[in-house]
Amino acid sequence: MTDLVRWAALAPFLALAGAVINGLFGRSLRGNAAGVVASLAVAAGFVLSALAFLGVREVGAVRVDLGDFLVAGDFTLGLGFHLDQLSVLMMLIITGVGLLIHVYSIGYMQGDDGFSRYFAKLNLFVAAMLVLVMADSYPLMFVGWEGVGVCSFLLISFWYEDLANANAGRKAFIVNRVGDVGFLLAMFLTFRAFGTLDVQAVNAAAPGFAYGAPVLTGIGLLFLVAAAGKSAQLPLHTWLPDAMAGPTPVSALIHAATMVTAGVYLIARTGGVFANAPDAAATVVWVAVLTALMAAIVAVGQTDIKKILAWSTISQVGFMVAAVGAGAYWAGIFHVLTHAFFKALLFLGAGSVIHALGGEQDVRKMGGLGRKMRTTGVTALIGTLAIAGVPFLSGYFSKDAILGALLSSGPLGGYGAEALFGLLMVTAGLTAFYMFRWYYLVFAGEPRSKAEFERAHESPAVMTVPLVILAVGSVVIGYLGLPAFLAPNWLQGWLAPVSAEVDLAHLSTSAEWLLLLGSVAVAAIGLGLGYWVYAVGGGALARRFAATPLANASRGAFGFDALYRVLFTGPGEAGAAGIAALDRDVVDRGVSGSAGLIPLLGRLLVRLQSGYVRAYAFAMLLGAAALVLLVALIGVFA
Amino acid sequence: MISLYVVLVPLAVALLVTLLRANRPFVQALAVLGGVATFALALFLPGSEPVDAAWLPGLGVSFALDATGAGAVLVLVAALVMIPTLLVAATRVERNAAGFVALLLLAQAGLNGIFLAKDLIVFYVFWEATLIPALLLLGVYGGERRRQATLKYLVYAVAGSFLMLVSILALKGLSGAASFHVTDLMLVTPGLAPSAQTWLFVGMAVGMVVKLPLWPLHSWLVDLNEQNHPSGAADVLGSLYKVGAFGFFAWALPLLPSGALNVAPVLLALAAITAVYGALAAVAQEHLKRFLAYGSLSHMGIIGVGLFGLHLAGLNGAIYFLAAQMVSTSALFLVAGMLWHRRRSFLLRDYGGLAKGAPALAAVSLFLIFAYIGVPGLSNFPGEFMSLLGAFQSSPLPAAFATLAVIAAGVYGVNLYQRLFQGSTTVPTRDLGALELYVLVPFIAGVLWLGVSPAPQLRQIEQQAELTVLQLERAAAADGAVTAALPAAGGAR
Repeated sequence: MTDLVRWAALAPFLALAGAVINGLFGRSLRGNAAGVVASLAVAAGFVLSALAFLGVREVGAVRVDLGDFLVAGDFTLGLGFHLDQLSVLMMLIITGVGLLIHVYSIGYMQGDDGFSRYFAKLNLFVAAMLVLVMADSYPLMFVGWEGVGVCSFLLISFWYEDLANANAGRKAFIVNRVGDVGFLLAMFLTFRAFGTLDVQAVNAAAPGFAYGAPVLTGIGLLFLVAAAGKSAQLPLHTWLPDAMAGPTPVSALIHAATMVTAGVYLIARTGGVFANAPDAAATVVWVAVLTALMAAIVAVGQTDIKKILAWSTISQVGFMVAAVGAGAYWAGIFHVLTHAFFKALLFLGAGSVIHALGGEQDVRKMGGLGRKMRTTGVTALIGTLAIAGVPFLSGYFSKDAILGALLSSGPLGGYGAEALFGLLMVTAGLTAFYMFRWYYLVFAGEPRSKAEFERAHESPAVMTVPLVILAVGSVVIGYLGLPAFLAPNWLQGWLAPVSAEVDLAHLSTSAEWLLLLGSVAVAAIGLGLGYWVYAVGGGALARRFAATPLANASRGAFGFDALYRVLFTGPGEAGAAGIAALDRDVVDRGVSGSAGLIPLLGRLLVRLQSGYVRAYAFAMLLGAAALVLLVALIGVFA
Repeated sequence: MISLYVVLVPLAVALLVTLLRANRPFVQALAVLGGVATFALALFLPGSEPVDAAWLPGLGVSFALDATGAGAVLVLVAALVMIPTLLVAATRVERNAAGFVALLLLAQAGLNGIFLAKDLIVFYVFWEATLIPALLLLGVYGGERRRQATLKYLVYAVAGSFLMLVSILALKGLSGAASFHVTDLMLVTPGLAPSAQTWLFVGMAVGMVVKLPLWPLHSWLVDLNEQNHPSGAADVLGSLYKVGAFGFFAWALPLLPSGALNVAPVLLALAAITAVYGALAAVAQEHLKRFLAYGSLSHMGIIGVGLFGLHLAGLNGAIYFLAAQMVSTSALFLVAGMLWHRRRSFLLRDYGGLAKGAPALAAVSLFLIFAYIGVPGLSNFPGEFMSLLGAFQSSPLPAAFATLAVIAAGVYGVNLYQRLFQGSTTVPTRDLGALELYVLVPFIAGVLWLGVSPAPQLRQIEQQAELTVLQLERAAAADGAVTAALPAAGGAR
């Protein structure tokens, strides 16, 4: 059984091989070959992950050694994969959803000049993401961590000839690097405190520190910076909406299902530290909840079919981060899992629409498309209901688990758990509201643009089959984590051996029922309000509210971009220019000039023609040799 | 004897190239042959017999070379880099390519001498002698303002080395060492009074800081790179000849540990400033080679942080980074040369959108840029990571400050790629030619090799680093006033 698990170590290398094949020889591959090669590489990874899943179920965690990496005295950092319940589950999500998106991409990217280049980058991403979740040490995790950032940059700026896309990729990379510095510093501090960078060893040793020890809080907060960068949480969330410049399947895979959940994974993986650093954990939850609320408000005001989903992703990742911050690791990962299905589905649905409309992304020009795109419309409706928290679909169960966790989390006691719960409830309602708007404006009602409507057509099977599979997943995947008081909760049990011990109170059965009903009520209110505002009277109410300050703030995403331009980009550029000027005019002249040697030697050199440089240099060597001799003689005779 | 051959072979090929006055194909063949031969020899350096021949016995100077430790790593990586560089020089230099190739080989011989010398005077002679080919490459083959640049380089180098020389000679005089051999020196120099050590250390440090270089003694570097031959081949030498860090590592720190403990905090601060300063200055550059010069300056700052943190992991990392940066920095200078070959310009505003016409060039450049800015999995990361990690253990604040350079590196890295390759253009661009491909393949291999498997080379370096740490620990223990630095100098754990 252990061997069965060990084979999974090949998964990232297969994806890497796919990337190399497409990168080097992709241009000579004909037809769909590049896409098929890439899909096969991921499919093989999925099979290996599934086998590893079965193996881990039998034998538990398995470590695969890949050899030494860094060496310094007693400290040796080996590279290795740690395959346990959590990493194998993540591998299944990455390769499973990844495979569907690879297949879909064969249709979506059909005829693009960069067809093979696209698949090379997508495979490289899968490889990096797998390394991230399989790593047994923080430095190796960081390899994947920066690797996915690099791939994200490559794919956002995929259509690089338009500088707007290139700028979006640049922004994503730079903001992510801010997070990466947090990761680096967290590693440095971890090493200082623990003397190791092995993830399991750190988690095992963390309870040895005093509960709430400042060093654990420090490590936790630095990892939060890292997580905020990768998972687009406040205040590092600004890159994700721009990242929609990339091809839509990329948005589905990287900027919805997998990469943006890396921060959730990081915190879950570092549970031992966070469980013993309540200040850091509470900060995580507050950041996450405020992010979720802020992004949900912004999602209401967007008009780009993908940007609505991007803000929704920021908001939903906030739910996940809140859960892992509260110590309910299984609930956070549960939402990673369900969100991977319904958000990938929604993005691919949006892609199908964009594909059908020849690139149109403005929801104001859509409407009624469900009639012409049956499969896309129906699957998108399922995705919408799932994310909105409609009972018995996946999002309902995972969101409910998170809300319950906020109320029952011991570490959150004294940090405003009730307020956090209330805010997240409101966010859940807003989610139903903006998702209704999204679905209604695109697929229902009357077509607002005749030309676009005429043009619309259903996408080919290579695109709709993945939609159907994801839609089925969006319905059923939630049953893996049913409320424990009603039915066995498989996922919680599965992750229990790898979850840090956190004091989670048991809610009374009546409280659980209230929570379930409350979730239903909130979803119903959100959807109902959505109908009232956007559907009744052709959206008359929406037009009436359009000029309110909140609507303006929502449309402008609370002005973070403008603020950062004033705070960072502007001063940063000015600072760089200032340093460059300082270096040229002050440091150079000051140091070179004050010695008085440059002018002196300058006059000397004027007399020498350039041909004499050789003689000059030779004289210098002789001079140096003479000097050596002279002083050495003094040494001997003195 | 292999230590001697890696000095003699490039020297001999240099003479051969000069004397034969051959045509270009012959020069190309000889250049590559010399490069490959040296590289092949360098592969066998670890564990080879040391060389120790009497030279000036009356003065206590012996011609001692030994490949134990970091030297073997640096010689090997430099030799890898030199093969394609020699090919570029033999091909792209229009007038007197043979002379250019000969100077490069001379410099390589000198560099290998610096890295392998076990006698302080031999070290110094190589240190100075290598300056001559570097100066000549700039002075004879450089651009329009080469004279000013040469002069500035000369003044900085000579002024720095003069103080270093005085320190070297005083070191033996004051300590009463039996010879200039490292083992003789190491027996007695750490016993010198801390105040004397401090002054001697400062003297040596001036010469080494200039060569490292650290802010504010770095101006020569930027002008040197800007004015060097447009092929970039001479800039490669520039990236190999940043031997200041090695001087500290192999000589100043272990010989004068008490002095090092006293002065290191100042140097650490300067290094941290250099790391951030260089990266920020790079962001605002318009000239491709100046851009790369400032980026490298930032790398040197991080190397300095690793060194002056005086922690084993940092010392290992700093020297590994010193070797690794040779690859990505050199490769990018050669890419700059290839771009110049296409457009006759180093100004970024003359570029943009090249990825359309030259996708392979764009892909390789991006790969090298990612290596250059320290993306993990590629060559610069292990050294950069260990430098900062090590320094953080002893001095968290300067190390954390220097880590901010990582953000600025992200900015200048993607800026550079964007301004060269992204966007659209109507000007057609050739993609990589066969020669260019041959030139870049060894660099790609080097970036992957050093990025994926650093452990074997780190073990080589560590043989020497552990000795340095031991000396620092002893000095700290003997010198009550600085015991605070003891855990810093202690093992990684």
